[in-house]
Amino acid sequence: MKGEKHLYRKNFTLIIIFLILTSFFLVIGLLLAYNLTTKNVENEFSSKKIDVLDQTLASYNNFFQNKIPQISFYQGFLDSSLVSKYADTILFNFPFVERLVFYDTNISNHQILDGIRVNSFSMGPKTVYQFGREMPADSIVMFKDSSSVGLSLNAADEFNKMAVKFAGFIESADTTKALSSEDIFKIAYNISSGKITYMNIPRAEELRIFKDLMFKDQDSSLVYEQDLITFFLDPYQLKIKNTHPELYANIVIKPLVYESLDNNPGENVTETPLPGALADYKLYFSSHKGFLKHEINIRFLPVAISLLIIYITLILIAYLIFRNLHINSKMFELQYDFINNLTHEFKTPVSVIKIAGNNIRSARQLSDRERLHYGKILDEEADKLNDMMNMLLSFTQIENKAINLKEETIDMETFCQNIIDAYQIRYPAFIIRYRIEMAAYFKGDPVLLRSIFQNLIDNAYKYSFHEKKELDILIEKVKKNIVFTFTDQGIGIKASELENIFKKFYRIQSQYNQQGSIGLGLAFCKELVNFMKGTIAVRSVEGKGSEFKIILPMVNDLSVAKH
Amino acid sequence: MRIFYIVFILFTVLQLIACDGEKQIRIIPVEDFFKNPERSGYLISPDGQYISYLKPYKNKLNIFVQTLDGRNVTRITSDTSQNIGYYFWANNQNILYLKDIGAESGVSLFVVKKDGNNNRNLITYQNSRMRLITKSQAYNNKILVELNKRDSTVFDAYRLDINTGKLSLLVKNPGNFTGYFADYNGALRLALMSDGVDETLLYRNSEKDAFKPIVKNNFKTSISVLGFSKDSCIYILTNQNRDKKALVELNCNTGKEHREIYSHPQVDVSGGGFSESKHKMLYAGFQTWKNERSYLDKETKEMYKNLEILLPETEIKVIDQDSAEQKFIVQTFTDRNPGTYYLYSLNDQKLQKLSDVNSSFTENDMALMQPITYKSRDGLTINGYLTLPVNKGQRNLPIVVLPHGGPSSRNIWGYNAEVQFFANRGYAVFQVNYRGSTGYGKSFWIAGFKEWGGKIQEDITDGVKWLISEGIADPKRIGVYGSGFGGFSALHGLCFNPDLYRCGASYSGMTNLFSYLKGVPPYYKPYQQMFFEMVGNPEADADYFRNTSPVFHADKIKAPVLIAQGTKDARVNVNETNQFVLELKKNNIPVTYILKEGERHFFRNPENRIELYRQLDIFFTNNLKKY
Repeated sequence: MKGEKHLYRKNFTLIIIFLILTSFFLVIGLLLAYNLTTKNVENEFSSKKIDVLDQTLASYNNFFQNKIPQISFYQGFLDSSLVSKYADTILFNFPFVERLVFYDTNISNHQILDGIRVNSFSMGPKTVYQFGREMPADSIVMFKDSSSVGLSLNAADEFNKMAVKFAGFIESADTTKALSSEDIFKIAYNISSGKITYMNIPRAEELRIFKDLMFKDQDSSLVYEQDLITFFLDPYQLKIKNTHPELYANIVIKPLVYESLDNNPGENVTETPLPGALADYKLYFSSHKGFLKHEINIRFLPVAISLLIIYITLILIAYLIFRNLHINSKMFELQYDFINNLTHEFKTPVSVIKIAGNNIRSARQLSDRERLHYGKILDEEADKLNDMMNMLLSFTQIENKAINLKEETIDMETFCQNIIDAYQIRYPAFIIRYRIEMAAYFKGDPVLLRSIFQNLIDNAYKYSFHEKKELDILIEKVKKNIVFTFTDQGIGIKASELENIFKKFYRIQSQYNQQGSIGLGLAFCKELVNFMKGTIAVRSVEGKGSEFKIILPMVNDLSVAKH
Repeated sequence: MRIFYIVFILFTVLQLIACDGEKQIRIIPVEDFFKNPERSGYLISPDGQYISYLKPYKNKLNIFVQTLDGRNVTRITSDTSQNIGYYFWANNQNILYLKDIGAESGVSLFVVKKDGNNNRNLITYQNSRMRLITKSQAYNNKILVELNKRDSTVFDAYRLDINTGKLSLLVKNPGNFTGYFADYNGALRLALMSDGVDETLLYRNSEKDAFKPIVKNNFKTSISVLGFSKDSCIYILTNQNRDKKALVELNCNTGKEHREIYSHPQVDVSGGGFSESKHKMLYAGFQTWKNERSYLDKETKEMYKNLEILLPETEIKVIDQDSAEQKFIVQTFTDRNPGTYYLYSLNDQKLQKLSDVNSSFTENDMALMQPITYKSRDGLTINGYLTLPVNKGQRNLPIVVLPHGGPSSRNIWGYNAEVQFFANRGYAVFQVNYRGSTGYGKSFWIAGFKEWGGKIQEDITDGVKWLISEGIADPKRIGVYGSGFGGFSALHGLCFNPDLYRCGASYSGMTNLFSYLKGVPPYYKPYQQMFFEMVGNPEADADYFRNTSPVFHADKIKAPVLIAQGTKDARVNVNETNQFVLELKKNNIPVTYILKEGERHFFRNPENRIELYRQLDIFFTNNLKKY
């Protein structure tokens, strides 16, 4: 019993430790997860701006990489009507393009008024047009070389930059080599704040001709045409595509030098500069702390839920393990009891036999009375041992469902009379009465039924006062069942004990069961009844007597009756 | 055992029968179709004693000379850096040759003795180009050449002494001379002059006289000089005052036609055999659905009759002859056979085989090329050829449409490696002589003017639709492939007939008519007006250019595209092709882009050529066979 207690206490401590540890880990896990989520959201806040930038610039990139180089496709053949169409598609598709200025450019060795001249290489605009949204018709033509009005410095600014650059390139160009892509970028593009100027890429032969124009004295040359277009961009018209609305509450385009004045500590901000011609501006991202907190919570929630689920599962498993352990310890207790009892039970007849044997051995001679007396004792004790072992065997068999039910039609009258006759011989003082009502036959296993009868009759005898050993057996048919009621006038059972009497090895501590009881009788009965798909119940008043009621199902009752 | 034996035999016989019905023809490797011939460029020496040819030596074409019996073979050049591009016998002792170097890197003319001695450079000019006026024998060790070394935009005529390399200016180009012709005495007596639109033929009686104009034509009317006859007359092919080119004798003193020698009601006379010794035309050559000749000389007719008996069921072409016109280099060919070179001697009528052009496959592996005609949507009769793959039936076939380049050119009947390559891989190959093609008369040619992105493309489309309506084409498996203008047509088809083609491939195909016109080289300046009339004026017809140039319409392409391009292509701008490919990729169109460093309009490097066809093979297999 000590070890048992020890075992119990240890289990409990372990479980407590386990509970504390898992709860501790749960809390740590939740804290870590929350911190990680916060870090993650903060990192994304500063890194996902690239996605937004990419998406926002998709149309600018398309414009820059595909639409601008298209000018080269026209190979210098662009005129005002073609440019007008080109400009319309550009202005329609790219709202950030404010207006275009088209310089229809001539390259020759002629003297020119506007444009630049290096040695005898001259590059000047023939006409300059501008295109924009809702531009009045009279302001489309900005310059014509036939008119007397010169090109204003402001309007010529981009042209001059390109022309100087191009002349510089021609001066030092190696015309035997093909143009590299760096060369192309150098000649064809001029990118400054809010402006992109593009000139169609001249062919290799043309570069050779231009170089000759610059360095060789020639007659008046042909006029070669180049197209220059300046695109004026308005970055504020860029359509911002917020691909991460969960991270960024506000995205705006601001000048590169912009700093938020209200130093609100609750505001997360980040920024990324725009590329190329838009480089004076940046994308400015801002979100309130609360806005991010909301996102953090949204992301934290599933993590927390899954942590909790894991926690609950662990606790549940721990409970199940605990329950198993508990049942096991109960079983252990029972088995311990069993061995205790059994040893005890066996001990009594064995010591009686030993004493009888000793007596017989030590006696000089045995009188007939003595011989009979010892013979009887030996015989009785051996029977007792045998009974006990039989019961144990059949009990384990029944418990393991190792025996088969034999179905036989039992004539209840004969069956009862036989049993009672046997008891009358053994215990002449024991009065057993029986009554059979409407149940002459019963179909079942007679051996098992006899066991039940014997157990209950034995009990009634055992737990009755010496002077009042009486038992009434009532066998009746109730509905489709047969009911056996055993009523004695015995010592009765305490109400607190009632629920335990069908347990194995349970014995009521009393003077009546000193000799030969192992506490299996009723448990065995209950097993038998259960085996025969019936029920057993008890009612008792202490000091007055007990009543056991067994209900067994009657199968094929009618056919049996006819039989 | 016996039973098994019988069953086995039965099984084998059944299998043979089954195989016979659907015999799988051998797939011939790409290399075998497009490898260079082992020997090419056969010529015979003027005295008829030696045969020369080009053959690779350390992977580069060099000149070999052998005696008639095939013995005493001498390699007379040893160039391991460049191929010999062109050569000819200047006389019985000397061979002149040009190296096959790029168009822009200048010109170098070499001379070598027939035994390989005395190999030397005659002239070298950087950044110039040369054309030969004398294409065969030198007269008094002197030949005539055109050079643009004085002014890159015009060619002057020079006389070159092949012994000394001395160059003397013969005719200074006043600025609009576009061609020169010499008579059989090596005297330069004819010149062609053009102001871009009008072409004038100039004649002089001797080199001491001044040129005087004899015929003036619009460029749409052509004159090509075949040879000088007696009495100041010349043999010309012309379509002046007629639709189809005819062989005409022209009196140079009067500028009037002396007589029409031959004309054909349906097609142009495309060439003729001229005898230097007899000063007369031997036959007029023309292409109906195949090559034909009308003989003008009894002996020539007999010679060809004899050759046809000796070489039955094949076409015959005389490649070269000796001065006495007794020994001939003859090449045979059919649609299914690239042919064989023979030496034919007239006096003993003996034929001696020299070599096969390509012996990697047999005639039976090749497919038949059939002439077809159909009506275009506006009622014009269009001719073409259809090559059906061997043993694949005639219905529901995958088609490769193969528009020819030019467009001033035509498909002819004969062996074509590209056609047979596709047919061998199980495609029917469709070739169209759409309007604008040459050979079918002046008006048919002119009908293609300014229609490069218009009716020419409609003719191709109509042809494909005709193939579908005839049940030959599987409408779901039609691809298009072409080079140059053919590539333009392929891309045009993908842009504007996206439902017709499952895929398309362009090899050095132009993508932009603006660039095409801009790319007319400076020495073509006189022709610029002609280009404006043929293609369109980039300023006046800018909208048409824009609307039909594929580079502006990359967004309309839905089918997979293959594009092959050389970085040094003067006609197709590599930047534009890059841009075009980028835009296709941006639109998630599968693009196979074969960009070859240093290559020009046609890939010269054999490995690049092989790779192109390998990629084409994969491309069409993926798009026309698996779906």
